[in-house]
Amino acid sequence: MADPVPASVLGAPRRAPRWARRSPLATAIAVLVCMVFVLPVLWLLVGSLRPADEIFSSLSPLSWRILVPSQVTFENFAGLLLGPFGRALVVSLLVCLISVAVGTVLCALAAYAVAVLRFPGRGIVFAVIVVGFMIPFEAIAIPLSQLFTGWGLTNTIIGLVLPGIGNGLAVFNLRQHFLSIPASYREAAMIDGASEPRIFGSIYWPLGGGALVNSALLIFLGQWGSFLWPLLVVSDRSLQVAPVALSQAFGEHTSNFGQHFAGAVILSLIPAVLMFIMQRSFGGLSIASGEK
Amino acid sequence: MVQVPLTDIRGGRGPEAVPRRHRMGRKKELFWAVVFLLPAGLAIVSMRIAPALGAFWTSLHKGFPGGLKDPAFSGFENYVALFTSPAFGETVLRTVLFNVILNPVQILIALMLAVLMTRRLHLRGLWRILLFVPATIPIVGSSIVWGIAMRPDGPLNAILDALGLGRQPFLTSSTHALASIMLVATWVGVGYWMLFLISGIEAIPDEYYEAARLDRAGPIRTFFHITLPMLKRPLLFVLVADTVANFVLFVPIQMLTGGGPQNSTTMLMFDAYRTSYTYSDKNLGAAQVIVLTLIMLIFVAAQFALLREDEKGGRNG
Amino acid sequence: MQRRTIVSLAAAAAVTALVTGCSSSSSSQSGGSDWKIPDKDPKATIQVLGHQAEDSGILDVIAAFEKAHPSIKVDYEGVPFDQLNTILDARIGNKDGNPDVYWADQPRIPALSSRGFTEPLTAPFAEAVAPLDKTTVESSSFDGELWAVPIANSTQLLYYNKTLLEKAGLPFPDADPKKRMTWEELAADARKAVDAGAKYGILFGQPNRYYQLEPLAVSLGGSVGAGGEGNLTPEIADKGWKQAMTWYGSIFADGLSPQGLNGEQTSNEFLAGNVAYFVQGNWLVPALSEGTMEWGVAAHPAFDGGEDVTPTGSWSLAMSPFSDEKEAAAIFMKWMSIDGGGGYAVNLPAPELPVSAEGKKLYFERDIFSSPSGKDAAAIIDYETQNTAVPRVQTVGYVEFEEIIGRAYSDIANGADPQTALDSASKELDTAWSKYR
Repeated sequence: MADPVPASVLGAPRRAPRWARRSPLATAIAVLVCMVFVLPVLWLLVGSLRPADEIFSSLSPLSWRILVPSQVTFENFAGLLLGPFGRALVVSLLVCLISVAVGTVLCALAAYAVAVLRFPGRGIVFAVIVVGFMIPFEAIAIPLSQLFTGWGLTNTIIGLVLPGIGNGLAVFNLRQHFLSIPASYREAAMIDGASEPRIFGSIYWPLGGGALVNSALLIFLGQWGSFLWPLLVVSDRSLQVAPVALSQAFGEHTSNFGQHFAGAVILSLIPAVLMFIMQRSFGGLSIASGEK
Repeated sequence: MVQVPLTDIRGGRGPEAVPRRHRMGRKKELFWAVVFLLPAGLAIVSMRIAPALGAFWTSLHKGFPGGLKDPAFSGFENYVALFTSPAFGETVLRTVLFNVILNPVQILIALMLAVLMTRRLHLRGLWRILLFVPATIPIVGSSIVWGIAMRPDGPLNAILDALGLGRQPFLTSSTHALASIMLVATWVGVGYWMLFLISGIEAIPDEYYEAARLDRAGPIRTFFHITLPMLKRPLLFVLVADTVANFVLFVPIQMLTGGGPQNSTTMLMFDAYRTSYTYSDKNLGAAQVIVLTLIMLIFVAAQFALLREDEKGGRNG
Repeated sequence: MQRRTIVSLAAAAAVTALVTGCSSSSSSQSGGSDWKIPDKDPKATIQVLGHQAEDSGILDVIAAFEKAHPSIKVDYEGVPFDQLNTILDARIGNKDGNPDVYWADQPRIPALSSRGFTEPLTAPFAEAVAPLDKTTVESSSFDGELWAVPIANSTQLLYYNKTLLEKAGLPFPDADPKKRMTWEELAADARKAVDAGAKYGILFGQPNRYYQLEPLAVSLGGSVGAGGEGNLTPEIADKGWKQAMTWYGSIFADGLSPQGLNGEQTSNEFLAGNVAYFVQGNWLVPALSEGTMEWGVAAHPAFDGGEDVTPTGSWSLAMSPFSDEKEAAAIFMKWMSIDGGGGYAVNLPAPELPVSAEGKKLYFERDIFSSPSGKDAAAIIDYETQNTAVPRVQTVGYVEFEEIIGRAYSDIANGADPQTALDSASKELDTAWSKYR
């Protein structure tokens, strides 16, 4: 069966670099903005690499010393990665990657249904999805955790994954994107006799591009940063996730800022790098001219 | 004057303009809708909606803190108690004010950043990620960093001093604290929303810009007549998502001000969290959360109405 | 079990029944418990919930217990201490058997017991807790019943940075607790230190916390914070409180103490050499003995003409009423608190102040107390825990109390008028406590 989407749409990368046209002025502004934004992050990074008491001794009087450590030490990172935090990092990655893999598909399917398909009550279904993500998680966390305890899902990876795969925001995001895909593609496919799953799989999913990446990001970050839920459903030390493990850097009487900062750096680096990779691979697709 | 056919600017004409569907087709669509919606829908209903209804039911009871002793049904007494409490009224007002000011400001900044990051720049991918990094740092870590930065004798004040701008009591004065929280929330969030708007901008087909250039439309004109209208859908998303994020924000408040000074940063979610988790009064806390969700609903409904897509696809001028 | 023990236990149980039989509805269990600590260890696994991190050495303690009682296995779970309450609400609120034993903050024990989260322990433990420090046992009891077993204690000392004091030409405070400084003298000396270049003159270890600041008001004759029936009438705006809080606000207004610092940062600031006088707990001594700073220690100050009082109290172990391994749990709790001077305090690598004389003897033999300043610290700690400790107010509404008064302290430190802040906190507290009266 002929593929209903013109190859030109999928094949053409957007905005092929035209070196002569890059604007130095815009770049300069971008650099300035980024520097201001990133300053606190830089301080965080430097704090993780310097000797313990220097974080506070270099605070004032203000000098360049605040951003330049007297010596660079990796003991914070080593201490974290070789301890319970390192193990917790693996658990976190596992939970997040499973959540993304399953969640993105499920949310895209739901988004397709509310954006493209017509059925009675569609508006209500969408409204329910929207209301769903407006409910603060803290409001339902304890009763939900008690439910999960009853279902025997405590101390399981599934128990950690499940609340993250029905992400209403991800559905909403994809729904907005799917609404912009010209209906004519679907029409053409239906005339060719394609079924809904086929239309979804060969038109809407490939055209998901940046929106799919962003929804995956929504799901990933939602799970990556979750603290209260793992605290409630996991009591087995070996199954705990990274943010919870990191919170132990602040004990009742001792506060290891350097180690906490190192943990924050690691926890921030992973999504940032992932996003960087995804942007390069998928960011270029668009729904440009396909309409006849 | 831009002469691109206006119907095309709307992107796809949407399912409404599509030719008739057969009755059999309708049945099949319903079937597939159910199948596609079932997994995610089940997850959302069972793990968000149902517990929320449970929370509402909890709010109709009064019980001893801790939740072990059986609570007694009390109808809307909790709500009456809330609405007759002046402190709660102030909290609601503060929360509404916070969002009315902050949401548009954050989206505006995110939009400007998105426009900047879609120009032709050197190392554009790097800058985008750098602006996004604040959103990836665990909120506890960010709060700690800003807490130290905004100390009366901290680096931020030292910089202000060096620039001759005068030190500010960021978190220690009831006039400044809320604005400081806004600053932290903005720093954390805008890079994130920027990414969604970048996707939206990059999804606009090149031809529209070509046509605008042919008509010699300047950048401002192009922005308001082409970019902005085509960003309606992603804008609705980021506006709604940002609203939710700001309404449920409480960790920076918990860590930086504890609701003070003098209750000036006590917002609804923080108050509800304190009632439910610190005081262990689940019933009153549930009532507070229901109120919070309802207020959020009003905001979101307004945003849907504001950025509603016109069926006819026409614009004035 | 020996006959004498049975008899004394029976006597204790009878007394308990008499006392608790008349107690009001604020205690959830009536009549005490119906089990006792067995002679022979049962075979069991118990779940223990604490706040010590996995790598804090707590696992060494667990290992030591399992060696002494091989048939009982312990599954330890460590959570951040500010999340302990949440987890307890979820688990015990769910009538879960996990945890069997949990760390309970002593002033919260009345609240925990009134919520039904604690198993009554008077009958099994009455005799066993006899050798422990009185204040710790009192802090673990409420309404005539023992609800938890103390495993640690605390006190506060006045540490000072010798280098900064020398720079200002200030004499080192006397380490004799009977010759302690007054707060007024401290403020004056701190002024000189700041003028001579110290970043901060005075710093409290936990700024704006009731644990830290209770003695200020009490020293001036103020109430511990509440009175009346069940300690549910706020008493935070009397003369003692007002005077104490005026002094407290003044050290910030005068630039002697920094605003905007929270408890996590203060020790780091002192260890970095930024603070002249630092009021902090006994747990600072190990960090000081490892560092390079020149430090000295004196007794916690008092107000001129006022009483000598110091903060005190720490953690106890409580048992969940839904535990299905109560005997094993009780053996664990007894070992942690009492056996051999307190298995917890003795075996934890990081020093914790024990709750019995036997435990304290071993505590003071640790290396950290071997330096001259260390010896001073040991003497002060011993004296204060026996003579000047004032426990925190015992009330069912403690959580609300601590939170509201904490905000009042913070507002005062940030410049609010003390009378206004205390009055409005009093009103807020009154409303919050109406549901308990």
